[in-house]
Amino acid sequence: MAGVLPHRSVANIKSPGGPNSGSGPSTPMRPITSTFASPSSLRADEDIIVIEFDTRKLQVGFAGDSTPRGTIWFGPDQQRRVGDFRAWLPDYVTDWRQRATGDQWGKDYELWQYDIRDQDLGVVGDRAERALREAFTKYLLIDSRPRRMVCVLPSGLPVPLLSAVLDSLFSRFQPPTVALLSPTVSLAVAAGVRSALIVDLGWSETVVTSIYEYREVHCARSVRGGRMLTEQTHDFLAKHLSQAPKEPTQDNHEQDREYVLSFEECSGIAARLVWCKPSQTSAAAKPAEGLPTVQEHDECEEVQGTSPAKEPTVVNIPLKSAGSPMSLELPLDSLTEPCENAFFDTRYDSHSSFDDHELPLHVLVYRSLLKLPMDVRSICMSRIIFTGGGANVLGLRQRIFGEVSHLVQERGWDAVEGKAVEQLRANPKLKRQATRQAGHGSTGVASQSGNSVGAEQDGVWHDAANVVPEVDPIEEQLKGGTDKRPRAQGEMRAIESLGAWTGASLITHLKVPAIATIDRELWLQQGASGASRASEVDVKAQQRQSLGPGGLMRGASAGAPWTLGIWGTS
Amino acid sequence: MAPLTPYTYIQCPCSDPSNLSYSRASDSGSPIDGNPGFDDEEHTFDPRAPRSNYSLYPLEYLLYCEDCHQIRCPRCIAEEIATFYCPSCLFEVPSSNLKSEGNRCTRSCFQCPICIGPLSVTSFETQPDPNLLAAPDHAAAPHSGPYALNCSYCHWSSAEIGIKFDKSNGIHGQLAKLRNGGTTRLTAKERKERRKDILQSGGGGGGTAPGASGDTGNDQQAIDMETQFTNLKSFYQGQLSESTSGGNGLSSLGDLGFASPTSLSRIMSIYTGGSLHDKKSKSRVGSMREALDPNEGLIVADLDESAAIEKLHSEGIDGTVDTEQLLNQPPYLGEPHLHGRSRFGSELRPIPYLLRTKRSKRCPVCRHIISKPEAKIQTTRFRIRLIAGNYVPSITIRPLNLNDNNGAAGTPLPPTAPLPDTLQPLKPAHFLLIFKNPIFEGVKISLATPAKTPGRFASKVTVLCPQFEIDANTDVWDEALKDDGARRRGAGGGRKGDERPGSTQGQQRAEAGKIWERGRNWVSIVVEVVPASLRLDTLPTEGPEGEKVDMSPLKEDEDVLEIPIFVRVEWEVDAVGDDLGSSLASSRDKEAKEKRELAYWCVLGLGRVSQA
Repeated sequence: MAGVLPHRSVANIKSPGGPNSGSGPSTPMRPITSTFASPSSLRADEDIIVIEFDTRKLQVGFAGDSTPRGTIWFGPDQQRRVGDFRAWLPDYVTDWRQRATGDQWGKDYELWQYDIRDQDLGVVGDRAERALREAFTKYLLIDSRPRRMVCVLPSGLPVPLLSAVLDSLFSRFQPPTVALLSPTVSLAVAAGVRSALIVDLGWSETVVTSIYEYREVHCARSVRGGRMLTEQTHDFLAKHLSQAPKEPTQDNHEQDREYVLSFEECSGIAARLVWCKPSQTSAAAKPAEGLPTVQEHDECEEVQGTSPAKEPTVVNIPLKSAGSPMSLELPLDSLTEPCENAFFDTRYDSHSSFDDHELPLHVLVYRSLLKLPMDVRSICMSRIIFTGGGANVLGLRQRIFGEVSHLVQERGWDAVEGKAVEQLRANPKLKRQATRQAGHGSTGVASQSGNSVGAEQDGVWHDAANVVPEVDPIEEQLKGGTDKRPRAQGEMRAIESLGAWTGASLITHLKVPAIATIDRELWLQQGASGASRASEVDVKAQQRQSLGPGGLMRGASAGAPWTLGIWGTS
Repeated sequence: MAPLTPYTYIQCPCSDPSNLSYSRASDSGSPIDGNPGFDDEEHTFDPRAPRSNYSLYPLEYLLYCEDCHQIRCPRCIAEEIATFYCPSCLFEVPSSNLKSEGNRCTRSCFQCPICIGPLSVTSFETQPDPNLLAAPDHAAAPHSGPYALNCSYCHWSSAEIGIKFDKSNGIHGQLAKLRNGGTTRLTAKERKERRKDILQSGGGGGGTAPGASGDTGNDQQAIDMETQFTNLKSFYQGQLSESTSGGNGLSSLGDLGFASPTSLSRIMSIYTGGSLHDKKSKSRVGSMREALDPNEGLIVADLDESAAIEKLHSEGIDGTVDTEQLLNQPPYLGEPHLHGRSRFGSELRPIPYLLRTKRSKRCPVCRHIISKPEAKIQTTRFRIRLIAGNYVPSITIRPLNLNDNNGAAGTPLPPTAPLPDTLQPLKPAHFLLIFKNPIFEGVKISLATPAKTPGRFASKVTVLCPQFEIDANTDVWDEALKDDGARRRGAGGGRKGDERPGSTQGQQRAEAGKIWERGRNWVSIVVEVVPASLRLDTLPTEGPEGEKVDMSPLKEDEDVLEIPIFVRVEWEVDAVGDDLGSSLASSRDKEAKEKRELAYWCVLGLGRVSQA
């Protein structure tokens, strides 16, 4: 198309939508003007601020930096009035803060809860504003000239929360535009991959997101996150404090809980001392007994080599918030218990004992891999990225990885589980008969797939790892023509990412415009309700404009539709 | 519990949503209304609402724009940076450095990672030889050998994390090359050079030179996050330019970077899921591939943390750092991703001081400067500073003892007397509010307060004199010379003020509609409060509309009796030669007096209500 009319080809070259501009009624004027407007002059020395919002912290910095300049953690002290210096009073710490306060336990440390029913959205906006102001003044050292901003926000964020945050951004900091980026895609970018399985061991929940070719294709959640770990740490300590062998209440109704220790102390201990046992691939997950302690005693030779299990180390945990200061002597090995309970919960023998929202992490990862189409799965399983605060629990990443590998080895990629399947597996006669029906379940892992791929006739369920001779034109294209080296796929592999903030910084630095780029004027006029669906917005047209100075769509006229992208769809 | 000193907070009018420009189309779209307390003008301001903590300021924090005649709070001010400086060495940092070197001091200013005290460079004498020390010439070469950073407060030393320095100056640069434990690492510049070498030896090719494999092997265990970032960045840049110039005759645009067709529009379409342009982009050849090896930024994670677990076993809780110490750590990229290992004390690094700024402040509306510091770092003076205290009447609160019948009745408690610890619930208490007028015109003040304080525990409030006038803040000596005696004593807080209500000897009564005392530029009035009982069983079981009443236990500060008061200050200025500026107004009308008014919500914290 582009080469048909020579006098149009100039315009076509300049715009990224060159080849298709013939199809639409676009005038060639705009791309030309944007070409002649020297882009560098306006783009020069304009810093774009990248902000990553998290439930408990926010990170700020300039696009192009390798690391955020500063991190602000949300806490109750930020909610005080300006000029309230009570935190410095000598008896303040023993006063209110250390008191274990009922349902608000730890809520002060979160910017938002995803359950917005009893949340004051204005407060969320105010808190975000105050934290941002502090970050700008303390870490970025910038004045209050308007600057463009890029926000990294969880893509599952409810629209009211998003709108509250954007409101305070636009009304208090006057950025001309705010672009939204998803943390998961940024993480993939910061790891150098196009597809990944992101295991975000976050604060309020653990989210397993599959990214395929920079798109979120599947997402699974579990409430087993950092908050639960802290609560379990509290229960664990409280149990040892009272010495009464009280079963920790497993139900998460906050009103049922009675807190005897302060949140700070519990989260501190969770961050300092709680660790995770390595997975026992030899004898694990044989859930004969429902006791969590069962793995401690035996059947872990390789574990004993690494951790000195022979002489149980005793740690002395000073506790200040439990009435009077005291210290608790506990074997360090027992400090794996909160982690076990929070993330794996080995007390129940079947995975079907769990509700969908509280799956143990390894099951969650396994299931979300299982739900992926096969070639997506084979790509994603060799690009697992662990992130979030839970990744700081020593040994947890390895444990999840090991447990998932174990599950895969044990079951293959078979969604059917239970007694009958085990019997089927145990009975070779039945198995042979059933290969035709269940055959496609055992692929994805190279070692297992060999026997079934021959019998495979179904065109859809080709084993991606074994179809090398078949040339898939799309696959070829994705591989990129330039490099013929094989991509890692089909084996479990974890990779390191530099973090969502760094990914967003890279994306912005490389001048990749985001789909959801919100213009200040439009937002102030229309708010979140003015956004169109992503599919209704002609992204191409915006990109054509975006070629102009600044790289992002600045010339969006009032009539142009804009979108919140994936954030607007929830 | 510490007795509460009475306090005053002012809500900056900028927090009033009716003053915000964006009131609001999107509110109707959101399922939950922002805050009902702010919705209509009629509603009283609730100091207990969580939002109000963000809009209340003590008077000292507020500035005042003389041209807009408005209070300006830190939220509604435009800032400009005068200087950047290090708070430790007080050296000015040029703003160009800020971009390249970051936001921390690059000289030798460091904070202790344990106690944030300042660190000093001291010579690190490995084996002090007593003979040498006793020798007279030991002063000649006392500072030789390695140096370390020492904290004089908690005696932390950088030797604990295995960091020693060869020279006593340029610590920041030396530290950048040292990992914890003392192993060296390449700095960014060296890495860049190394990279260039690799590229040249390998003949170029997007950082995938095969000749680099030997080097890669060496670097394998040492790929830190910074290297990963630079590798990734150059990989992406290489890919973008490659796919741009990929056979489409677009090579002329390769330098434009963002014009790369396929890969970019693919990333751009990250979220759309829309295939509208994806199909087209697929028709292009040369899409961006992903990183494949460490030189391109792909790092396979090392999940084995058994060494760290073992360390946790051997060191226990003392080897780990607490949350605050961890948060104070600057982001450090000289290591591979630490994950859980960051908890160990051996991973701490000295904290370079964060730079600070001196800022001048402008009114966002009229762009006039309302605060401007001296550019010199050592001085703390301001050239211009229009603090609100010079324009807005200040309110001081003093408890008043009215109930005693002896001769001392009716006196405000002397400020030195210990304040009563708590207010008794359901017993009337009296407070004196002393309004002091800082401006050179007489002002008229009207107060409005809800009869019952908002919140769960509603106390009754009565302002006995809600409208009064205060004289101008004239020169003290003018006043003293003009008349003497009673007036002066009145100004001094004596009991013989001439406008005291019901001034029968000794016995003074608080009367409605009358002010209590008046001085040169101040007026005191009486406020009567009946604190509510803080017991939960006295709360009504149902609200007025049948909603459930919050029966949760007492929250922090809920026992403090706070009164919201709406203050309206009116005054007239001479258009000619007035001190308050407004040249605009004076040029418009030379003769007439100009009326000004200022209205804001104010919160008075009177005291704690006893919880008995």
